[in-house]
Amino acid sequence: MGIGLKDIKAKYKELFVVEKSPEEKNRPRDIKKSLHDFWYGKPHEERRLGDLYVGNTGLYKHREWRGVKDTMYYFNMIWLYNYAHMVSDIVKYGDGPMGIVDFAKGIMRYRWMGQTYLTVMHWFDRGLEGVRDDALRASAWHYRAMVSESIRQIIRMFQSDKKLNGGKTPDKWNYNIAHNETVSGSIFYPFRDILEDIPLEMIPYFVSVHVNNHTVLNYIDAAQSIGLPADPCPMCQAEYGLFVLDDYPDYSPVMVTSNEACDGSVATSVLQDWFLNRPLYAMPQPMRYDDPLVQKHCQKEIEGCWRFIEEHFGIKFDWDQYVKYAQSFNKLTEFEWEKWDVAAKTDSYPITSVAQALYRIYYSQDGDRPIWHEIDDRVKRIMNKTVKNKIRTFPKTRHRAIAWSCAPLYYSHWCTWAYNCWGINCIINMDSLMFDQYLRTDTYEHALEDLGLYNEKAPMRAMAVGGHEHILSLFDYMERFNCDMVIMYDQLQCKGMQGIHGVFEDEFRKRDIHAIWVPHALPDKRTVSRAEIRGIINDYMTTVMREEPLDPTLLDFDDSNSW
Amino acid sequence: MNKFIKFILKLTGIAALVYGALFAVFYYDLDGKFMYYIWEPLMIKRFDSMKRQDTTAMPYSMKEKVQ
Repeated sequence: MGIGLKDIKAKYKELFVVEKSPEEKNRPRDIKKSLHDFWYGKPHEERRLGDLYVGNTGLYKHREWRGVKDTMYYFNMIWLYNYAHMVSDIVKYGDGPMGIVDFAKGIMRYRWMGQTYLTVMHWFDRGLEGVRDDALRASAWHYRAMVSESIRQIIRMFQSDKKLNGGKTPDKWNYNIAHNETVSGSIFYPFRDILEDIPLEMIPYFVSVHVNNHTVLNYIDAAQSIGLPADPCPMCQAEYGLFVLDDYPDYSPVMVTSNEACDGSVATSVLQDWFLNRPLYAMPQPMRYDDPLVQKHCQKEIEGCWRFIEEHFGIKFDWDQYVKYAQSFNKLTEFEWEKWDVAAKTDSYPITSVAQALYRIYYSQDGDRPIWHEIDDRVKRIMNKTVKNKIRTFPKTRHRAIAWSCAPLYYSHWCTWAYNCWGINCIINMDSLMFDQYLRTDTYEHALEDLGLYNEKAPMRAMAVGGHEHILSLFDYMERFNCDMVIMYDQLQCKGMQGIHGVFEDEFRKRDIHAIWVPHALPDKRTVSRAEIRGIINDYMTTVMREEPLDPTLLDFDDSNSW
Repeated sequence: MNKFIKFILKLTGIAALVYGALFAVFYYDLDGKFMYYIWEPLMIKRFDSMKRQDTTAMPYSMKEKVQ
């Protein structure tokens, strides 16, 4: 059966041709308006972004035309710039052009690498859909930082990986600490001049889901295939699924794990101990992290981890190194507080909710790295300009929302959609507010005290599973950030948050707050699809809020097979 | 000099062509379409058929007792 001209035409139409709406077809041609739209981009209500998608793939028939200035900025400073810098990052972190060889070997060996990360520019596209001007620029820089830091970690893992080196032990293998992604990178500051600390699941699992949610399903299924239960947190399932499928890089002689954030993570730690078969230090964190009685214990655990490292690597704890990195990290925290202030008190905050959330959780978990400072400087310049000139960065904002609990990783960019479709501007989210802690460096005791608390405020523990008074701090933050709506994430497999569902319902009613529950299963899009999430928000906005969408083409579309 | 100007013009022309081609790739999402329809299916095929070590065959109790 051959391919005819008809088939080619149909395929071309499917992949490239954007159908005009009936109104557009019937409208008399207005050259002046067409030129205006070409130069400045269409007004928000006329963009019809939903028409740009190719079927259920999430691909674009053509990328959005944002006006000459913003389209050329996107092309030159986001698309071209990032592709070029990805290559230069690989060479830079890979100690020269051989880095490209290591990178290529990793692409061919690991599913999470070969299938996932090359699609990274679509991650930008999804998060930056419809975004303009300063918000486009500031948000894109956040993505750039995350890509660069991911490449640094990827290259270091591949260079040190026994599996990519025919079972031989590369020299760098002896100088890496592997740790669970929920163990704070700040713990390892005292050794950073000699050792590299790289979270084991951050790149193979966590970041990969945001970039391309197809890969992770293999790991979840692998975990269940050996008889592990399907109902714990799918994040933990995916983390140990990597080991079941032998799809983890072997780059370190030791492992530091944690029980954070829940019982599922305890299982991850136990299974990693089995699969890795190497010295492992489990650093548990208390359920009630701010109980004064548990602090000494937590500090002893950190000191125990430091002794474990000293013992296994034959090096000494270096206080000066700790001070250097902690003080440098505090500068990132100070800028974060500045960002929160601008987000809370003005309409000039130039960062999309998804860029804000992912960047914040990434750098605060990862710890101090030069790229975060470089990007903060760039963003600071943009933010100073928007604040000084009182620029309304998201001018179609109808509602200022706060998002609470943990977000669907496969749809962290839902907030970009919500703004484009409904004018719901997600100002801040729970993940951004964790790690709200300065690291004192005046004495060893103070340093340890703060580091202990910082580590205890790790993902989810601070506000999701760390005691109901912290969970309910949502309402204080809602006031602080001047929000009129709550997007309440409902992670269906999080036993901690499920247990307090009813309390929230009562509180929302009592306080007369508009809250939209968004069910999801963290990395697993099969449980609640992105379309279902949009449907729930659509229903609330039409039936309860009685509002009209800004862009009706975004109400209902199929992106079930998209990245 | 004439030759030099010609060379510069040629170079500019080639650069403009490359730039234009890259813009077409960007605008029509050809990078995404390549990844989605060609690269990803190839990778899936590769990883689905890759031979892997059976990690579950590893004995449970190889370690010394924790002190």
